[in-house]
Amino acid sequence: MKYVIKKLLSCAITLLIVALLVFVAFSIIPGDPALSRLGTSATESSLAALREQMGLNRPLPVRFVEWLLAALKGDFGTSYSYNIPVSSMIMSKIPITVTMMIMSLFFMLIISIPLGVYASYKEGTWIDRVIQIINQVIMAVPPFFSGILITLIFGVTFRFFRVGGFVAPGVDMGRFLSYMIFPSLSIALPKSAMILNLLYGSLNSEKTKDYIRTAYSRGNSSKAVFFGHMLKNAAMPVITFLGMVIADMIAGSIIIEQVFGIPGLGRILLTSIQNRDYPVVEAIIVMIAAVVLVSNLLVDFLYRLVDPRVEKK
Amino acid sequence: MDTLLKVEDLNIEFTDHKTPETVVYDFDLVLNEGDIVGLVGESGSGKSMSALAIAGLLSRHDMNKSGSIIFEGRELLNCPRSDLRELQGDKICMVFQEPMTSLDPVKRIGWQVEEGLRIHEKDLPDEEYKARAIAALKDVELDDAERVYNSYPHELSGGMRQRVMIAAAIVGHPRLLICDEPTTALDVSVQAQIVALLKKINKEKKTAILFISHDLSLVSQLCERVLVMKNGYIVESGTTDEIFRHPTHEYTRKLIGAIPNCDEMAIDMVGDDTVARVNDLTVIYRKNGREFRAVDKVSFEIHDKEILGLVGESGSGKSTIAKAMLGIEKKHTGTVEHMSEYPQMIFQDPYGSLNPSKTIGFILEEPLRNLRKDISKQERKEKVIEALKLVGLPEDFIKRKPSELSGGQKQRVCIAQTLILKPKLIIADEPVSALDVTIQQEILNLMLQLHEELDVSILFISHDLRVVYKMCDRIIVLKDGRIVEEGRPEDIYHDPKEEYTSMLLRSAGLIAKGDNQ
Amino acid sequence: MKRNSDKINFILGLILLIIVIIPALIGLVWTPYDPEAMSSSSKLAGVSLKHLMGCDNFGRDVLSRIMSGSSITLIIAFGTVALGTVVGTVLGALAGFLGGAFDEVLMRINDVFLAFPSILLAMVMVALLGSGKYQVMLALGIAFIPSYARIVRGEFIRIKNLDYVKSARLAGAGNLRIIFVHILPNIKTVLLSSVMIGFNNAVLAEAGLSFLGIGVQPPDASLGRMLSEAQAYFFTRPTLALFPGIVIVMMILGFSLMSKEIR
Repeated sequence: MKYVIKKLLSCAITLLIVALLVFVAFSIIPGDPALSRLGTSATESSLAALREQMGLNRPLPVRFVEWLLAALKGDFGTSYSYNIPVSSMIMSKIPITVTMMIMSLFFMLIISIPLGVYASYKEGTWIDRVIQIINQVIMAVPPFFSGILITLIFGVTFRFFRVGGFVAPGVDMGRFLSYMIFPSLSIALPKSAMILNLLYGSLNSEKTKDYIRTAYSRGNSSKAVFFGHMLKNAAMPVITFLGMVIADMIAGSIIIEQVFGIPGLGRILLTSIQNRDYPVVEAIIVMIAAVVLVSNLLVDFLYRLVDPRVEKK
Repeated sequence: MDTLLKVEDLNIEFTDHKTPETVVYDFDLVLNEGDIVGLVGESGSGKSMSALAIAGLLSRHDMNKSGSIIFEGRELLNCPRSDLRELQGDKICMVFQEPMTSLDPVKRIGWQVEEGLRIHEKDLPDEEYKARAIAALKDVELDDAERVYNSYPHELSGGMRQRVMIAAAIVGHPRLLICDEPTTALDVSVQAQIVALLKKINKEKKTAILFISHDLSLVSQLCERVLVMKNGYIVESGTTDEIFRHPTHEYTRKLIGAIPNCDEMAIDMVGDDTVARVNDLTVIYRKNGREFRAVDKVSFEIHDKEILGLVGESGSGKSTIAKAMLGIEKKHTGTVEHMSEYPQMIFQDPYGSLNPSKTIGFILEEPLRNLRKDISKQERKEKVIEALKLVGLPEDFIKRKPSELSGGQKQRVCIAQTLILKPKLIIADEPVSALDVTIQQEILNLMLQLHEELDVSILFISHDLRVVYKMCDRIIVLKDGRIVEEGRPEDIYHDPKEEYTSMLLRSAGLIAKGDNQ
Repeated sequence: MKRNSDKINFILGLILLIIVIIPALIGLVWTPYDPEAMSSSSKLAGVSLKHLMGCDNFGRDVLSRIMSGSSITLIIAFGTVALGTVVGTVLGALAGFLGGAFDEVLMRINDVFLAFPSILLAMVMVALLGSGKYQVMLALGIAFIPSYARIVRGEFIRIKNLDYVKSARLAGAGNLRIIFVHILPNIKTVLLSSVMIGFNNAVLAEAGLSFLGIGVQPPDASLGRMLSEAQAYFFTRPTLALFPGIVIVMMILGFSLMSKEIR
């Protein structure tokens, strides 16, 4: 329990530092938010009035604290470009991105775990080698290119889906989900190759450990050794890696949204970066950091649940 | 008595290289019920391979096995795995060398002790399994059996884990217990307990034991019969007594020679001057907020031409004293005075004490380059060659990298490195414990010889009383960071003042053997 | 222990990289056509002897664009890795060697940076610095520093406690000598392997940023941008996406195969 509190606290501090860095970074870069909001044709007096209204004239620490307090209540300010609350812009997109994340996580696990186990079981045979070679190549495919390839194969050639098509979840949930399948697969594929590689290596190294020999010496069948002893131990490095994978998937989803024309969080982030719409960028970055930190935290707790040795660290 | 196990003409051959490599030749062994037989040899002698073959645990596809292994009238060699599985963990059980890694780290002890039972005696009620596991844990003298039952391996000490391994092996009352170096990874005092425990099991349950070890003296304490292996061959076999009295093979003689005899003592020619003085040395570590006194008010001095032995088990603070004396451990109180320049240190693991990216020449020149700036490049080179000669290595070693050297050669280089500044004091921290027995002997002889030739004092740190006994002019026994006994080896041997010291002597086989004769 | 299969990996990786790097090097001084020259007559031309990889929607020669684009990618990757390695090694070495408060503060900041996937970090940097090839180089370089710092710090802590470093101290070596002579040479394999992975990640990140339109800016050619532009012509000219994509995969595969062997 003490550990949980400690972890949560350090997580909160890290997030605070992220927020601080992001806020300061976007406040000190050259450029006048008031000017970018009103355009170059604005008069000096209207600019001054807007600066006053946006609170830009006050010292940075005060603005940060105000921004932070508002953000804690879910208010991330107003978008420069669209002049609507940032939170309402983001909120409507979250379900899309989250759905894609969950689906790709699911695909990743059901592709990588059985194949990794199978390849390790067949270690040294030609089928193992074939899996390894294909895996090595897939690992080198960037997510946007895997998206393009999947579009070319399943969208253009087989016409499984309409290229560039999208249906909002509010309109038709079923069709929305079906449009999410291939983007999720594109994110999942390179990551599955990584997990497969990791699990394969981990299984192979566990195989030669002393406790496996002990298990055999007690008369266990190969199957019992595998499921009773090896799998749980081999899962440890994979679990540690999951946190990083989730972070990478978020990055991947931003790119994949561009390939498949999905109006999710990534789309907003990108246009906001291009338009220098900093309140939106700040909000999304802090949110992503929060998601990454929380998922790392969950992975950490999961690890502690599985591995009794953790206290030592 | 009934024959339990009969091994005939066992040959084991690896086929994964271009030329097949035989690791065991014509291995023969007969084991009767209740026998206790030792199998002795160095690493690579084929002793573990033979044992694993008997236990049916060698089933790699790149390996040929021929001959026969008959257990209770059944042929085990090359029989289907399902047949083997019936015996493994039931009638034939194994205890392995490394208790740290031989238990599944994520399973509770109870589960692991019960595992064999659950496989071979199915459908007993859960309480029955638990009761028998607890009984087995009590059999191996784990007092807190209930707590151990619910623990994970990492929560236990090495000695406790090895007891758990034994408990898991005897829980189903096996006919044959194969122990592969079961005590090598343990402290000497724990070693003695494990040996006593195996003796007890053998006596009470009539379990036959095949005990594999590199340590002949340990085997002689336990076993009635001994087989000695070298390079895959059995070079000697017979009763323990016979082998000790009339060893026929030269290798056996060498092994017996490595066991110290209390009659041959180092010649006393210690000088009067002091080369180093330690006063009230105390080192305190903080662990989880608690204070832990690694070294507690230790005082002693080392005279010139003296070899002073510092003996203790792991955790007794002996290495910490060495580090504090050389300033590697800085957080100490008390004083250390060196009367001479450049005291040097030989470390335990020769594999970690040489910079892997540099040549031997560079490594040996390093002290001169840093500390003797007055010496020219040419002279440096000469001194390096001289040092190599002193430790019995050829000149051309200066161009080699540490990875090209054997363990013994590396330790020679380490010794050469300490000699190059001509120090008056060398601290040797377990200098031979990472080496094979016969190599150990060579290194110890070299150190003795250099000590005499160069008049250098040595602070010799070891857990092994046998080694210290033979080397040292004076011995200090450490326990939990304190000096518990100090004196000349023969005095300590004849009249140990502390129970702890006599326990160490007993477990080193020094008293046990004296009593036998 | 080096197995044969690792050697094969290394050779395969090397071959892949040579196939990609040589045209990129040539691309620095010569390309079959001007990579920016548009021509309405060869718009979306197919693969032919005249245009080995065809032409894009503006009639620009794809091979020329790939050659010059991959040279820009490799230059950016080189700059990124150089910046990340040098600064990361210095910081990591100091943190690992000195320990204490300096280490604590540096690792805290490191944690913050590592909480982001590096491409996202690069996106933030680009948002701050603007886009263009030098900005991308700087952004990615900064984004890569924490991971190098962490690797080097770990190695320093590990090696600092080895016996041969203690023995070097007894041999009179001072702090600087310990760092440069006794520790740094022994982390070179680890460093080399992470440099390879660094190239791998840099290529990936640059292509990703350019694909999103916030990386390398026109008129500079870029593999990532070519991919995103090709999306509009999936049905008519899928090769427009395939060629640059395959080149990116070859680069990444080459670097990752080579890093496998070095490890």
